[in-house]
Amino acid sequence: MTRNVNRIIGLILALLATGYLLLSYQLPTYDYIPVDADVIPKALGWLLLILSVALFFSKDQDSEEQKAKRHVAKKDVKAMAGVFGITLIYIMLLEVVGFIVMTSIFVFFCSLFLGYRQHVVNAIVSISFPIFIYSIFVFLLNINLPQGILPL
Amino acid sequence: MGSLEEILTGFQVAISLEGIMFVLLGVFVGTFIGMLPGLGPITAIAIMIPITYGMDPALALVMMAGVYYGAVFGGSTSSILLNAPGISGTVASSFDGYPMAQNGQAGKALAIAAISSFIGGTISVVLLMAFAPMLSSVAVSFGPPAYFALMLLGLTAIASLSEGSTLKALISAVVGFMVATIGIDPQTGTARFDFGVPRLLDGIDFLVIALGLFAISEVGYLVINRFKASFASAKELGSLKLSKQDLKDISGPAGRQSILGFILGILPGAGATIASFIGYISEKRISKNPEKFGKGYIKGLAGPETANNAATSGSFVPLLSLGIPGSGTTAVMLGAFLVLGIQPGPMLMGDHPDVFWGVIASMYIGNIFLLVLNLPLIPYIARVLTTPRPLLISLVMMFSLIGVYSISFSTFDLYLLLGFGVLGFLMRMFAFPAPPFILAFILGGMMEQSFRQAMTSSQGNLSVFFTNNISLALIILSVLSFAFPIIQSMRQKKKQA
Amino acid sequence: MRKVLASSLFALMLIVLAACGGGDSESAEGNGSDESSESSGDNGESSSEESSWTPAGSIEVVAPAGAGGGWDTTARMTAQTLTEEGIIEQDMGVVNKPGAGGAVGWSYIANQNDPHNIFVSSSPLLLVPLNGQSEHTYEDFTPIANVIADYGAFVTGPDAEWDTLDELFQDMKDGNASEITVVGTSAPGSMDHIQFIRFARAAGVDVSNISYVSDPDAGGVTQVMNGSADVFSTGIGDVTEQIRSGDVKPLAVTSEERLDGDTLGEIPTAKEQGIDETFVNWRGFFGPPDMTDAQVAYYENKLKEMSDSEAFADIRENYAWDEMYMDSEEYQTFLEEENQVFKDILSDLDMLEE
Repeated sequence: MTRNVNRIIGLILALLATGYLLLSYQLPTYDYIPVDADVIPKALGWLLLILSVALFFSKDQDSEEQKAKRHVAKKDVKAMAGVFGITLIYIMLLEVVGFIVMTSIFVFFCSLFLGYRQHVVNAIVSISFPIFIYSIFVFLLNINLPQGILPL
Repeated sequence: MGSLEEILTGFQVAISLEGIMFVLLGVFVGTFIGMLPGLGPITAIAIMIPITYGMDPALALVMMAGVYYGAVFGGSTSSILLNAPGISGTVASSFDGYPMAQNGQAGKALAIAAISSFIGGTISVVLLMAFAPMLSSVAVSFGPPAYFALMLLGLTAIASLSEGSTLKALISAVVGFMVATIGIDPQTGTARFDFGVPRLLDGIDFLVIALGLFAISEVGYLVINRFKASFASAKELGSLKLSKQDLKDISGPAGRQSILGFILGILPGAGATIASFIGYISEKRISKNPEKFGKGYIKGLAGPETANNAATSGSFVPLLSLGIPGSGTTAVMLGAFLVLGIQPGPMLMGDHPDVFWGVIASMYIGNIFLLVLNLPLIPYIARVLTTPRPLLISLVMMFSLIGVYSISFSTFDLYLLLGFGVLGFLMRMFAFPAPPFILAFILGGMMEQSFRQAMTSSQGNLSVFFTNNISLALIILSVLSFAFPIIQSMRQKKKQA
Repeated sequence: MRKVLASSLFALMLIVLAACGGGDSESAEGNGSDESSESSGDNGESSSEESSWTPAGSIEVVAPAGAGGGWDTTARMTAQTLTEEGIIEQDMGVVNKPGAGGAVGWSYIANQNDPHNIFVSSSPLLLVPLNGQSEHTYEDFTPIANVIADYGAFVTGPDAEWDTLDELFQDMKDGNASEITVVGTSAPGSMDHIQFIRFARAAGVDVSNISYVSDPDAGGVTQVMNGSADVFSTGIGDVTEQIRSGDVKPLAVTSEERLDGDTLGEIPTAKEQGIDETFVNWRGFFGPPDMTDAQVAYYENKLKEMSDSEAFADIRENYAWDEMYMDSEEYQTFLEEENQVFKDILSDLDMLEE
């Protein structure tokens, strides 16, 4: 089983190395430069290929603790996927909707999603925190964050 | 060393009422900005430049220097509490700082960071004052071959940053190095691995990788443990109490790394990052119990924290005595000098002794202020960790997202951040260590460039790395450093047999 | 169940918000402009007659680079002078759009196409597109005015065998070109490299095999001081202090005539050494692709006023910048000529991307 894990990762890394090498061999070279832009990438690509082969055939050295880490309950996977999804939506809409609104929504719903039940505290934090950060960045430090739909 | 009279002029500037006020203002603003997500000393200084316009140059620069080392000081907070290193110099501080905070010793960890920063800052200022003019020759003694060798020495640390499989550590490092090759190659102008995305032409920003691999991947684990009770009680968490043994543990690394960090800081381009990594590794190497490192060991935090602050003072040597900015931060600092009509360079000490010595003298006071300002605040700052987990997770995510956005203003970088977060999580799941990845990412790029610079200058002759004394010495050191752990483990096996 | 509820609520709110935001998303993206979002869609030009134009909201000065560099400094100092001297009454915010040597910022301006956005640029606006690294070229933007200039310089270590640029080029022509290493801060094909090639070419040196090293961490001075490289091609401002202290030896400055100042005045120009070439590192402001004459005139006047102000004269002095004001029309002609020169150089080097 654990040996299989190393095999799968080894294969993925070998694929990565191959792709990287293919791109490296397409890099243009100039005659008058002794060590051109392609040399180090080629070396790295081959090195990774060799290492991935070594991993493919290596025995697993993980401790029990490490193996336990690998087991993630289904509901945790769902929770992580949820946070990932919310973040993805946040990134997509940040520049359209604006920093304050989007961040408030993000903090509130992400906490709610993860099981935070003190709605009042949650609302206060998720509204005040973005406003605080926004004020510091925009008014004090002159670093513009997307203002979006708010007429601030 | 300047004449006593000139040095006294410097102290007059620094100890005057206005001087003290501006130092205070500078370190306060610096620490504060340094604690904010993503904002490091570069932004802090750039933002403060317009404010100094029209001020007395000596006072203004005393303040700007305060902003600089204050921001370095403040930067370690997020690294320790949230595993979210905001600047590259504080990555190594998270290796033992974050586990300490997780063990319920957040206050203690922050206090250790503050004290070692103070020691590193103060000892290095003494060195700066005594040797600044003399050391300028050290700063220019490093040519490309020597830089290459220095980066090589840094990379040998990969072996000691791995727990368990060296093979996996090597794979991490190679992939990290590969990521560093993305973007326009400075030696030829060739765009490499950009996939037609303009944002990739400059390469991937350090912050994207550091926050992704460390902070966001940590969020994954926090999600799994989201129903666990918060950390220890607020009181315990915020406790600053250090035992005699703790202080003793700090003193060794603090003394050693003050000097080592300062010397590495002098070298343009090397700076705080390399100093902090080498600080961590060298402490681990000489330690009698290296197995304690990475699990919340005091020496593992005191080493890099001392080193990065000492390196900050060191970086003033080439700036003040040669006018050479050794890093992005000191380049902006140079801009701060220019706007005030002061040209840092070899003539600065003679032309403006009040500025030269004023800035240096103010660093003593600034370091004391930093300690005095921060120690009482630590219990409150540490309480961040008592935030209920779900809320804490949202806030860490926010912190990382804002941090990246505020330097790149691009949502593309945010997607990358998320991507590296997932990668970091998977790496931890399958026991691929992240530190070698980030170390190779930081050093790899510089190493490739100095290697190729050296090769171009020598028309492709490899012997250039062995004819230069500094480079030769560093290469020998690298070989030893690489072989040492292997020999050690072989010996141990023999003993056991 | 609750989770499902929470996430669907979240999704719902987002849809609503996106719908609200979609209406004026064009102005919403231009962070920093306030009133303009109310008069959205018209870019503030329809309400005003053709002869004069005033901004409908705050002005965004874009530095297509990160904080602290030359473009950022110019943008910040300009915004500061314009507001503090009361030349422009609207708020002026500096926005950093770093990436790809400027290309990210340029494409931002082109996409916004809002006359409330102006940006600062210099030679890379010509060189980066010629290197094939930007989809937008200078022709995509409206030149408003050039404000400052600085000059390039070539320096060597104090013990170098050459005392003038001419001697160096003679040596290169005598077949020693491959043994001489030139160092600069930028990548080949951009500023420092092209500056050196420009003069070498004018002096009749074969430019195809000049070895050039790029040291992006400002290590060029160090490299000539410790002998790792032979010649440092850079901006004069970056080496003035080292020239003054004798740590480096200047070979030539790229200006038409000798510069002012004790140290700077002693540096010979390339021209007086018989190399008929000059190079000015100009820096000025540009606007988005579609600007009316009135809009250009507005900024032109304001920048002229700033350039003539005493406050800006002080700033120029501190940064060792020269005054070089060009109005929109002169600027356009100047850019066309410069672009042609760069094009010729790059095609000689076989680096031109069509």
